[in-house]
Amino acid sequence: MVKSQIQNNIRVLRFNNTEMTQQQLADAVGVSRQTIVAIEKGNYSPSLELAFRIAHTFKTPLEDVFTYNSNPDE
Amino acid sequence: MPYQEKQSIVNIFSGLLISSIFAWIIYQRQANGLIDLTTDYRQWGIIYLIFIGVSIIARIIIYIIFHILNAIATREMDIPVTDERDKLIRLKATRNSYNAFFIGFAPLFLLLAVGMPVFWIFIGFAASGLIAEIVENVSQIYYYRKGV
Repeated sequence: MVKSQIQNNIRVLRFNNTEMTQQQLADAVGVSRQTIVAIEKGNYSPSLELAFRIAHTFKTPLEDVFTYNSNPDE
Repeated sequence: MPYQEKQSIVNIFSGLLISSIFAWIIYQRQANGLIDLTTDYRQWGIIYLIFIGVSIIARIIIYIIFHILNAIATREMDIPVTDERDKLIRLKATRNSYNAFFIGFAPLFLLLAVGMPVFWIFIGFAASGLIAEIVENVSQIYYYRKGV
């Protein structure tokens, strides 16, 4: 399976937000914990709506949560 | 192991179990001369209707047992929410399932065209359905583990 070209800082943001657990984030955005795990690992690219919900949960702009890497070899 | 993966494994084994038991019963009735499936196609219609009914009831019972055992083992009573990733995985798995069914079923028409007895179509239909179900659930397990 090809890794996603969308990278994320969810793990760091969770840590900086009172060490929020994956389950707490999952509950806040309305998905399963497995989905948060998959996003963090880069195994799943979330929909635009879910991406905005995650950014909204961290009260941060979308580009601070997700970045697009046009060169996956980097 | 996530709930969805366990459910897919249960689906595979329940499908194999139900189909095997049903096929064995039908085979015994055929071998004992109670039915003649090589010429009486009406019997195939009855068999498929019974199979659908039996399969639905058996699966409901299996899912209830699975859910109870899973709740005892994990101490989690709630079924996990179905989110967008689950839906995407199911969509891709269903696509693979349709492809598997077509690959299994389409050649039967070719064999029918070259003179194969018609009753093989009914057997091939059931076999393709079972293979398609296995492909669907194996696909789900694969996508859950490797990503989608």
